Amino acid sequence: MEDLPHPASFRDRSGHIFIREDTLLRQINHSYKEDYNFLINSGLYKTLVEKGMLIPHREIDNISPKPEAYKIIQPEHVPFISYPYEWCFSMLKDAALLTLTIQKAAMEFGMSLKDASAYNIQFVNGMPVLIDTLSFERHEEASPWVAYRQFCQHFLAPLCLMKYIDARIGQLMRVHLDGIPLDLASALLPFRTKFKFSIYTHIHLHSKYQRAYADKSPDTKKTKMGRTALIGLIDSLESAIKGLEWNPPKTEWGDYYGFTNYSDDAFNLKKNMVEKYIDKINPSLVFDLGANTGEFSRLAGKKGIKVASFDIDPLAVEKNYLDCKSNSEKNILPLLLDLTNPSPALGWAHRERASFMERGPADMVLSLALIHHLAISNNLPFEKIAEFLSSLGKTLVIEFVPKDDPQVVRLLKTREDIFTDYNQKAFEKAFHRHFRILESSGIEASKRVLYLMEKDGA
Amino acid sequence: MRKRMTKNRETVLIAVLLLSALSTNAHAYLDPGSGSFIFQVMIGALLGALVTIKIYWQRLKSYFSRLFSKKDAETDR
Repeated sequence: MEDLPHPASFRDRSGHIFIREDTLLRQINHSYKEDYNFLINSGLYKTLVEKGMLIPHREIDNISPKPEAYKIIQPEHVPFISYPYEWCFSMLKDAALLTLTIQKAAMEFGMSLKDASAYNIQFVNGMPVLIDTLSFERHEEASPWVAYRQFCQHFLAPLCLMKYIDARIGQLMRVHLDGIPLDLASALLPFRTKFKFSIYTHIHLHSKYQRAYADKSPDTKKTKMGRTALIGLIDSLESAIKGLEWNPPKTEWGDYYGFTNYSDDAFNLKKNMVEKYIDKINPSLVFDLGANTGEFSRLAGKKGIKVASFDIDPLAVEKNYLDCKSNSEKNILPLLLDLTNPSPALGWAHRERASFMERGPADMVLSLALIHHLAISNNLPFEKIAEFLSSLGKTLVIEFVPKDDPQVVRLLKTREDIFTDYNQKAFEKAFHRHFRILESSGIEASKRVLYLMEKDGA
Repeated sequence: MRKRMTKNRETVLIAVLLLSALSTNAHAYLDPGSGSFIFQVMIGALLGALVTIKIYWQRLKSYFSRLFSKKDAETDR
């Protein structure tokens, strides 16, 4: 079977990622040989891997027919790939701090990061990890940090925008795949950010200099930067990032579990039922849709099952993530997702960053307390919902929320009830077209019904 | 004999050319941005000074805190 080069791996001539028989491999080219050997022999690789900061890899026999290949390595598998525009504020902040920590460590070993892209970070076992092993180069004496611009655009700018304007503006990262342009960030940020030294320096003033030199080509080869200056630069960026705390306004989902209609009994009953279904199927990968703060994701996570925990609300995802961190939760990955407008395929030839659907299917999809938001708030027919859900996972745990449920009553209060076929019978009929209903059971102390379904032809 | 020698020389020449083509430095494929580069060098001196002050200030603080905790231990006797 032919080797398939990964569509996102082409910019760095040091090597590239490719797929061979469903395994992700990285080819290291001869041009990178010295840097790679230095990475390993200096002890930097070992130090970073031991601290869980760099993805470990193993070298495999060079079975490449290509003359430019020096070595082939197999990096450890990342259970679910996610992108910066799907992360909550603290995830991006932690990824930024990791990048700077790695740069500091690299400098101590005589190396430096040649890029600082947020796409070089992935979340594995609940923590950010650098996945681009070829990001390191031997540090040329007295040379400035070549990745400074990229760091400001990928990390500092979006974090500042999310803090000072609104978390939702982070979605600009979907449009600007090489980070937010600094002139845009500078124009958007409120005037008071000019009085904060770090932000003024690294965003506003930095942007002015970018513009000033836009059509000039100074002799950059002669520019020298001492070690202390470099350390000062990294330290300044670190202070800037650490100083960014997000104080979000209350969202409609932030206190969800505080005032839903569940009695404690009904809630625990539902938990037990979902857990039973999880045990029955024993999935390896679960998508929890509309997961809010991940209450139900944890039912699977505690069994060692990997869960991608999606929600539309940045505050809910943030809470989920901070919770996971304080509990050292390794199996849950909280992510931002609007199901009615999920992450599309982006980048060169629409193939650099995979769409949400392309990164599935999961073994199990949880769709709890969700159907009424899709069917009523978003006017989606059951048939369309069933079709989409069947493309996401092999099995489905879904909660049907009837029309007389207080949540649905609330949704219909301010609008005309055109949903004449919003009922359990129509729901089952629509889902029968794509699924086999394995089990179903009413949730006592509520009028909701929980289903376990299996995709047809799965 | 002569024919074999020219063939060997050819092979060596090709090998050298290939090797030199392969070992080009793949330094920094990333465009650092000329403005960003210059700016960084410009502020580097100031930031370097700031971090030096910060480090010495932290050393001073920890020296004094150790000094005072020793004093406390002495007065406790």
